[in-house]
Amino acid sequence: MVHAFKEIHRLLKSDGFLIDIHPVAVHSSVEIHKNGKIDLVGQLEVSQWCVDFQEADKALDEIIQRGIFTVEQKVMFETLTYYDSAPEMGTALKQSILKYVREGEPVDEEVSHVEILAAQADELLHAADGEAKLVLREPDHISRLKPI
Amino acid sequence: MSTIDPENNEPRALFEFADFKDKHVLEIGCGDGRLTWHYADKAAHVTAIEPSAKQIAIAKENLPKHLESRADFQAATLEEFAAKSRPSVFDLVILSYSLC
Repeated sequence: MVHAFKEIHRLLKSDGFLIDIHPVAVHSSVEIHKNGKIDLVGQLEVSQWCVDFQEADKALDEIIQRGIFTVEQKVMFETLTYYDSAPEMGTALKQSILKYVREGEPVDEEVSHVEILAAQADELLHAADGEAKLVLREPDHISRLKPI
Repeated sequence: MSTIDPENNEPRALFEFADFKDKHVLEIGCGDGRLTWHYADKAAHVTAIEPSAKQIAIAKENLPKHLESRADFQAATLEEFAAKSRPSVFDLVILSYSLC
């Protein structure tokens, strides 16, 4: 990752800047939204994903410490993803887990957790009738960095 | 079919941090161009890279006509792209949900 930031530094003009957007390495939440009310189904536990983005955070800290970039601004925001059905969400989340997993790392527990969440969401959606929406809420941060 | 960020929280945060006018932009990890469409018409030129050829094919397929001369999508990793690029060419680099 540090090497990647060095490459970015080389590609940038001296008065240019880098915008880094990535998920905050904490659990995202699965929610049911209905008539302005939000019910928490559960939290997504994707440790592999979190480990990778924690490493990205560390790399960012390192390039700042080494004086390659300096942070000008940093804030948090949230992105919401709306799914038409619980099975659709389950499939999408399982694909994300498999995309990020490292070779040889076990993912059975994480996949099984997603399946449980999807089943719980399915039950709640059916109980809430057609008006309810299934939502994944992910906290992200955005930073503006200046090359030194 | 899922809908990602219909509230446009991500582009809103991006526009608070960057003025794209006359900027030459490199977006790393552009995926299917979901974020690119929000700012490409404001920039001088956008080079958007993504390791997945499948995602780049989707981005090119969905590229609006008026952005054809402004946006260039390439299936490449940062390492591959940087190896063939001159230094100091971009005003702005966006690293979007990318682990490089």
